[in-house]
Amino acid sequence: MSLPKLTKDQVQKLAFSALGFVFLLYVYFTFFLGPLNRSRAAMLVTIQDRQSKLDESKDKMKKAVSLEQQAKSATSRFATLRALNPEGAPIAWFPPRIKAFFANQQIDKATARLDNSAAFKEAELSGWTKYNWLIDLPQADFASLGTAIAELENTEPLLSITRLHIQTLPSQPQFQHVELAAASIIEKR
Amino acid sequence: MALHLNLLHEEILEHRQRQRDPLKIGMMVLAGFGALLFLYYMFNAYRTLETKSRLSAVERNWTKIEPEVTAADKRVAELEGVIKTTSALDNYIENRFFWAPFLQKISHCVPPNAQLTSLDANILDENKGISVSLEGVAAGREPRSVAEDLRQMLIEQLGHGYSGVKVEFKTLEDLDTIVNVGNTNMPMAHYLLAINFNPAPMAKSAASPTPDHTRKR
Repeated sequence: MSLPKLTKDQVQKLAFSALGFVFLLYVYFTFFLGPLNRSRAAMLVTIQDRQSKLDESKDKMKKAVSLEQQAKSATSRFATLRALNPEGAPIAWFPPRIKAFFANQQIDKATARLDNSAAFKEAELSGWTKYNWLIDLPQADFASLGTAIAELENTEPLLSITRLHIQTLPSQPQFQHVELAAASIIEKR
Repeated sequence: MALHLNLLHEEILEHRQRQRDPLKIGMMVLAGFGALLFLYYMFNAYRTLETKSRLSAVERNWTKIEPEVTAADKRVAELEGVIKTTSALDNYIENRFFWAPFLQKISHCVPPNAQLTSLDANILDENKGISVSLEGVAAGREPRSVAEDLRQMLIEQLGHGYSGVKVEFKTLEDLDTIVNVGNTNMPMAHYLLAINFNPAPMAKSAASPTPDHTRKR
């Protein structure tokens, strides 16, 4: 089958139609379908993102509830440990507390002074500070001292004695001069 | 044969030419294709609107739940922090060295004819062990053997609760001083003992020897 012979005018019109077709396609994809699809694709991505967040959030809520159950003992233990130390600067309450403690143990003239304090390197203890104290007991007898130290270790779980020096007193053989270095962990407040 | 005359030849030709006008055909094809594209656009627009309404629903849900999630996140972080801190504090508490049982052991080791004049004890860095220096005097017919008995007793007693116990004389020398013990004059010896040991796990968990008090946790 042979194509009908086209006149020059017809070829021109055909070329014009082809150009119009190309232009139509360009306008359609660039200004209509393209932006529409892009906007739809963006919305789908947002939906997926939100949906995954919603799914995650359900897991997180479940985790929070189960963690709350699991952490009950840790929470109460933490509260107990926090309650061991009063608020305020430790230098203000620690020495009187130690003096009173040893006085109750029949060891008089106890003094405590702050040697130094340092922050912990561990991230989990970043809210706590280690205070090193020097406790001086100029007149203590060995038996009372042993009982007092046992009581101190039992009642002050966040206190740890790091050095102990006991020296007899030549003038009073029934007494010893005792020096303790103790580290206590106190929450920053 | 009948004669067939076409008197409208020119008009018919013109009509045929108009019918196969490429521009007209092209315009018709374009219009048809345009209609198809329009339908396809409408279909996409409908899908986009549907997606938009889904997005609005999800956004509404998210807006509703977001404060709860944020609060849950905060609470989880807080609880995890509390658990970690409590664990670290418990670890610190458990790893303390209890001096009262140690002093009790020392007091059990000293015989009546020996005296301690000084005790200096330190926890070595990073809880690597305990270092103790004991100074005193011993009296007896053989004061050095009294001091040696004390050393042996310390090894035995401390060996029950701790590991790696080492008790060594740093100094052991006779003194010129004579002491009267039970109406008997006895020579004396001065000693300096160095004690090193590691607090064994058993010793770590042992409570201090106060009978009337339990460990408070």
